[in-house]
Amino acid sequence: MTTTPPAHLRLSTDDTEDADDAGDTVRIELQGDLDHDTADGLLAAVTTVLGDHPRLDDLHLHCAGLGTVDSLGLSVLLMIRRRTGHAGVRLHLDDRPAALDRLLALTGTLDHLTTSSATAAGPFGAEDPPRTGGNGKAMTVRPTGPDGTT
Amino acid sequence: MVSTQAQTGVGAEHGASWDDAPYPVLVADAQDSVVLRNDAATVLLPGAHPGTRFADVVPGWLAEAHAAVRVPGPRTGQEPDAEPPCPPLSGTIGERSFEAHPSVRADGAVTWWLIDDTDHVLAREALDMERRRTAFLAEASSMLLSSLNLGRCMDVTAQLAAEHLADAALVIAPTHGRRLPVVTCPRGGGPSTSHESADPDEVPGLGEALRGFPPVPSRWIDPSSAPAWMVPEDFGTVGSIVITPLPGHGVPAGALVLLRRSGGAAFTDSEEVFARLFAARAGAAMSAARLYAEQTSITDVLMRELLPPSLHQISGVDYAGGYRPSADHERIGGDFYDVHPAAVEGDASLITLGDVCGKGLEAAVLTGKIRNTLHALLPLADDHQRMISLLNTALLNSHHTRFVTLVLASAVREGSGVSLRLTSAGHPTPLIIRADGTVEEAQTRGTLVGAMPHAPARTTALTLAPGESCVLYTDGITEAEGGPLGGSHFGEQRLKRVLSECAGMPSESIVERVQMLASQWIGRGRHDDMAVVVISAPRTHHLSAVNGHTRGRFTA
Repeated sequence: MTTTPPAHLRLSTDDTEDADDAGDTVRIELQGDLDHDTADGLLAAVTTVLGDHPRLDDLHLHCAGLGTVDSLGLSVLLMIRRRTGHAGVRLHLDDRPAALDRLLALTGTLDHLTTSSATAAGPFGAEDPPRTGGNGKAMTVRPTGPDGTT
Repeated sequence: MVSTQAQTGVGAEHGASWDDAPYPVLVADAQDSVVLRNDAATVLLPGAHPGTRFADVVPGWLAEAHAAVRVPGPRTGQEPDAEPPCPPLSGTIGERSFEAHPSVRADGAVTWWLIDDTDHVLAREALDMERRRTAFLAEASSMLLSSLNLGRCMDVTAQLAAEHLADAALVIAPTHGRRLPVVTCPRGGGPSTSHESADPDEVPGLGEALRGFPPVPSRWIDPSSAPAWMVPEDFGTVGSIVITPLPGHGVPAGALVLLRRSGGAAFTDSEEVFARLFAARAGAAMSAARLYAEQTSITDVLMRELLPPSLHQISGVDYAGGYRPSADHERIGGDFYDVHPAAVEGDASLITLGDVCGKGLEAAVLTGKIRNTLHALLPLADDHQRMISLLNTALLNSHHTRFVTLVLASAVREGSGVSLRLTSAGHPTPLIIRADGTVEEAQTRGTLVGAMPHAPARTTALTLAPGESCVLYTDGITEAEGGPLGGSHFGEQRLKRVLSECAGMPSESIVERVQMLASQWIGRGRHDDMAVVVISAPRTHHLSAVNGHTRGRFTA
């Protein structure tokens, strides 16, 4: 199965439906730049996958063919992480190019994006990200007091 | 056909065949007397008894045609070069329109076949009218849509309406304050703009038309009730006035007032419908122009609000900043920087430099929000982590994961040096230019802000000796694509080399050098927003000279 997103980023989706209890795995191969023009296409593709596979356990984004990732590309990866987290799906960014690793390290998002949601720890080992199970819209985990974290 | 008629006439056994003819037929002899008519002709021209003079019983146009046909002698009837009605022969009898086809017999008698073409004529007139209107609407659309200038749209609307619809036209825009912008155009004249201090509600229908809600149809008003400003000078007596709303894109675009002189034709229903069609086009063009103008002014306001400040020396610390947005015509974008002087002399000033994800206006709006939030958090400026956490909370949003990466720097003069605390929140690491030309990375790291529940960051403290500088920059610099072969990044290594050559230079010169080299690197290629801020400890023994040259110096 192949979805056709906007130019410069080609996505090929490949699902493995396991009959046993191992659950479903979907692998999306990213080929090209993930930027201002193409990021929404990836988000749409992932949203479709999540909708189509209610029993999904693992989502692999295969990044070896990934070119430039700009700030909007990173923003979409964070959104995908949020959506998979809500759906209880483990997100894997496989075969990351060095440039992507550098970007994720610099922005402090490496742990957040690569720690599978089942055992998710916040970046820098902080407590869990806001996966308030089932409470999909309650993403704005706003601490009641002004002093939320430190 | 003519020959058939002639044969019929010649073989005139004046019987049923004549009376059965579907068209009125009259025969007049060489002496101009009616000799024969069929039943249809009897109905049409009851006075034309055989024996009466032809010219006395038929309308003038037919009598003239008859004379013209007969004079040149016997020949098949084509109208001669006299001046009968234009070819084909036609005219009205009673209320209907007829074509007349003559056939001349050898003895000089003329048989006139009259064919009723009333419906045909009406249809042709209607078709011509529609064609003229369509051509006019097409012309109007192309003239109106070629301009996004509201004043020009109003002028064109008034001019077109005055030329095609009325003796004079007024276009009135919705009021801004107490004065009504009005464009007046008499037929054959040029449009003139004025601002009338008049209450539109005093003119029946005008207030409603300008409000656009509830929708009102065109409205006739009594010409005597029209205020003086509505009637152009030297117009004469107004015969009729119609006020038509100009519908816009969800907003009223104004009203069109059409005036005709008394004595001329008043507005017919179909003209009124047509005026509405024209008004719809004019209204769409005017509201598009208005929206465009509003957007331009919004952008202007935002730009003024969001442009980075010009920096200078504050409390014995030198600051310089430079910014180049991704699209040169945009002037604003996702990068920002600010310097907030300490509230109390002796405390540290807070410098912020950041990069919002995205580009253009959308990024600029988020930038404004972030700058405001940081400004509000200034009382907490001592605790960078706390500021970042609060900003993170303020930006977290369930709908998107737009984030910002930024650097916070607190700088205060201590003796001849400058004491700095630096915190990077997912941002490219600040670089320190030491006096000997070494370039160090500040030991600070953190996560981006606004997309994840927590934003931990590590702060570092250091001291700048006189002549040393700290460079904050956005990734637009290091990721600038270009170079001698094109396609390669300016990169952190190249930036460090450039900076090491800047050792001891004043902050403004460093900013200019970095900007210049990055721009040269890019050439004419595409680039992201680029921002640089340099914080320097002034060289002590040059202090007075530096101060003398620095713009907008703030005394310590």
